Amino acid sequence: MRYLARRAAWTVLAVLGVSVLIFLLVRLLPGNIVDIIAGTEGQLSRAQRAAVLREFGLDRPLPVQYLLWLGNMLQGNFGWSFRTGQPVATLIASRLPITIELALLAVLSVAFVGIPLGVAASVSRSLRVRTLVQIVGVLGLSLPNFWIAILLIIGASTLFGWLPALIYVSPWTDAWVNVQQMFLPVLSLSLGLSAVVVRMTRSSMLEVLGQDFIRVARAKGLATRAVLLRHALRNALIPIVTVLGLQTGFLLGGVVITEQIFGLPGLGWTLLNGVYQRDYPVVQGTVMVFAVTFVLVNLLVDLLYTYLDPRIRYE
Amino acid sequence: MSDAGVTPAVSALPRRLDAAGSARARSLRAFLGMPVALIGAALVGVVVLVALTAPALAPYSPVAQIAKPLLPPGADYLLGTDEFGRDELSRLIWGARVSLYVGGLAVLIALALGATAGVLAGFFGGWVDDVTMRIMDVVLSLPALVLAIAITSVLGPTLTNAMLAIGLVYAPTFARVARGPTLTVVQVPYIEAARSIGASNWRIIARHVLPNVAAPILVQATVSFSTAILTEAALSFLGLGTQPPTASWGLMLSAARQYMLIDPWIAVLPGSAIAVTVLGFNLLGDGLRDLLDPRMRTL
Repeated sequence: MRYLARRAAWTVLAVLGVSVLIFLLVRLLPGNIVDIIAGTEGQLSRAQRAAVLREFGLDRPLPVQYLLWLGNMLQGNFGWSFRTGQPVATLIASRLPITIELALLAVLSVAFVGIPLGVAASVSRSLRVRTLVQIVGVLGLSLPNFWIAILLIIGASTLFGWLPALIYVSPWTDAWVNVQQMFLPVLSLSLGLSAVVVRMTRSSMLEVLGQDFIRVARAKGLATRAVLLRHALRNALIPIVTVLGLQTGFLLGGVVITEQIFGLPGLGWTLLNGVYQRDYPVVQGTVMVFAVTFVLVNLLVDLLYTYLDPRIRYE
Repeated sequence: MSDAGVTPAVSALPRRLDAAGSARARSLRAFLGMPVALIGAALVGVVVLVALTAPALAPYSPVAQIAKPLLPPGADYLLGTDEFGRDELSRLIWGARVSLYVGGLAVLIALALGATAGVLAGFFGGWVDDVTMRIMDVVLSLPALVLAIAITSVLGPTLTNAMLAIGLVYAPTFARVARGPTLTVVQVPYIEAARSIGASNWRIIARHVLPNVAAPILVQATVSFSTAILTEAALSFLGLGTQPPTASWGLMLSAARQYMLIDPWIAVLPGSAIAVTVLGFNLLGDGLRDLLDPRMRTL
C-alpha cells in the first residue's frame, strides 16, 4: 500500500511537472502572443493590445496565469480555441474516442500477434529462427511507420483497387465502414511494434524456459502446451509488459502521424491542426491529454507487475 | 519509471547461459554478433560516404527543376524525377546530408545535456540527483514525438529548431544511461583513495567516472542516432522540420503523399533511404552493445 501511495503521488507530480513544462513552453514563444491571437501584426493600438491581453488574462504575473490555467483545467476548462472560439475541452472530448479506438486496436493487435508469434518462435532454438526473429525485430524498429502507412495505401490501391472512405465514419453510425477505415491505420501502427514484441517475447521466454521449474514441469509429464503457456509465458510476461508500456510513448507519437495520413480526425490530428494554425490553447490541451495518457499507462504497467508476479510487493 | 523494484527484471532479461548449449551458444554469438555489427557498420559507412561526397556524387543539383515532373526511373534520370521535375537520385543523395547532419547534432545536444546531467546526478547524489532525475522523468512523461512537435511549433518550423527539439527530447535517456554506471563507480574504493590523496571532484569525474560511462553512452548514442533520424524524418514529414526546397527524406515522403498513387516511386525511394540508414545504426548499436556490454547480449 505504501508503494501504491508513493506511486500515485509520483503520478500526480509528473502530471504537474508536465503541465508546468507545457505552460512555459507556450509562454516562451517568439513574437507577441497578441498578434497570434488577433492575427494582425502591428496593426493594433496600444489600448486594443491591452484589452486583448486582459481578455485572455495575459496581463497577470506568470505564476498567477499558471495557477489559473491549472485550476481551470482541473475543472474541465481547457480554455477556448484562438481560431474558432470553441471550448478546447469540447473539441478534445469529441476527438478523443477516435484516438482511443485507434490506439487500443493497435495495442491489442500488437499483443495478440506479437506474443503468440514470440512464444511459437521460442520453441525452436535453431539459428535460423533466432536470426529471422532478430532481423524482423530490428526491421520493426527501423521502418518509419508513416512509410509503412504510405506503402499500405499504395499496396491496397494498386493491388486490390481498394481504399477506405475518406470522410471518417464513427462505429456507431456504420460499424463496417469504420472497421474498413481503421484497418490500414491499425496495421501501419502495429506491424513494427509487433516485430519488436516478437523478439522480446522470444528472448524472455527462452530465459524462463532455461529454469529448473520448467524442467520439473516437463518431468512430471505436462504437455508442452501447458508448460509453455501456464508456466513459462506467465513468468515471461513481465518484461513483455514493460516493453509494451514503454512502446506506448512511441505508439502515441505514431498515432499523430497516422491520423494525419489517413485523415482520421482524432487527437493527433487536432494537435497538428492546432500547431499549423498556431492555436496554442488547442496545442496545450491536446499535449496535456497525451501526457496524462502516457503517465497513466505507465502507472497501469507498474500495477500489472504485482498482478502478474505476486512476489513483487514493492516493500 | 524510476522505481528500484522494477529494474532488475528488465536488466536481467536477455541472458541465458545454461550448461548444455553454452559453448556452442557462445561461439554462435561471437559469430553472429560480429556480422550484425559489420553489416550495420557497412550500411552506416555507405550513408556517411554518400553524404560526404554528395556534391561529386549527385548527377544534378537537388533543387534544379530540370525535367518533366514524375518521370519513372530511366537512363537520363536513374531514379526518375519528383513532382517539380527535380532529379530524384540527386535529392536522395543530398538528403543523406540533411539526415546525418540533423541526426548527428541532435544526438550531440542530447548527449551533452543528458550525459552531463546524469553524471552530475550520480556523482553528487542527494538533492542534486533527486531534482535532476525528476526533471528528466517529467520530460520522459511526454511521448517523444508529441513533445518534439510541441517544441518545434513554439520555436518555429526550421531545421535548426527540429534539431534542438530532438536533442532536448532525447536528453533524459542519456541522463539515465550515464547515471547508472556513475552510481556504481562512486562507491568503489579507488574513488575514496583518489579523494584521500586530494583529487578534486572534477578530476575524479574526468579520470575515473567518465571512462566508465563512455561505453554505455557510445552504445546509446548509436541507437539514438537512428531515433533522431526517424524523428527528423517524422517532423519534416509533418512540415515541422526541414523546409522546402531543401532535400530531406521526410519532406520528400510528405510531398510524395499527393502523387503516390500516380507515381509510387517517389514514395518508395525516400522511405527506403530512411529505413536503410536507421537499420544501419540499429544494427551497429546492437553489435556495439554485444561487444561492450556482455551482460546485455541479445538472444
